[in-house]
Amino acid sequence: MDRAMTKEELKQLKPDKVVDARGTACPGPLLAVKQAIADVPDGGIMEILSSDEGTKRDVPRWAKKKGYEYLGDFEESGYFTIYLKK
Amino acid sequence: MAKKMTLALFSGSVDKLTAAGVILGGAAAEDMDVEIFVLLQAAFAFKKENAMTNDRVAEITDKKDEFLASLKRLETPHWTEAFRKAKEMTNVKIHICGFAGKVWHGEKLDDFIDLADDIVGIGEYVDAAENSDINLFI
Repeated sequence: MDRAMTKEELKQLKPDKVVDARGTACPGPLLAVKQAIADVPDGGIMEILSSDEGTKRDVPRWAKKKGYEYLGDFEESGYFTIYLKK
Repeated sequence: MAKKMTLALFSGSVDKLTAAGVILGGAAAEDMDVEIFVLLQAAFAFKKENAMTNDRVAEITDKKDEFLASLKRLETPHWTEAFRKAKEMTNVKIHICGFAGKVWHGEKLDDFIDLADDIVGIGEYVDAAENSDINLFI
């Protein structure tokens, strides 16, 4: 996609894998994402929950380097929800 | 081809070792090859009898209790666990400097925690640093 999806569009996605990293600080969420990406089928969606501010920048940057697609993120209820497409 | 990082790890204090663990996590996420050279004070921290009991900090020492409490509050893994996880996730080799080992009465690999892979001379560090993309001193 040329743009990040809106919050409403993101909420419609059906993730193939959810990574709940809300209990960890940097680099915990990023490492959890890296470990879990193997469980996502090609073309599948990963949903990442993180209360770490740095994660919403780290994950898109990491995804771009690894050839995955960052779909967008939103903040709600005190944490971030981030979406990737493998 | 994987990017290479070398880390000259001099510090034996928990604050700097924790920082090294965070950086190692970033390197692991990027699948980098990492070589760590454990120098002088870091060799103290890598001794079996010191690794888990050493709670020294190098900076802002008057706030040591607050710092250690924050690590606990944030459920930050002990630096040895951060190093171990990085070793599980990417190619990390940990070399103990032979001189540093002797300073702390560590003559054999078995004197150090099992994260350590071998005991080497400084020439290996120089060779590795020459060929690395990132070279850090902590």
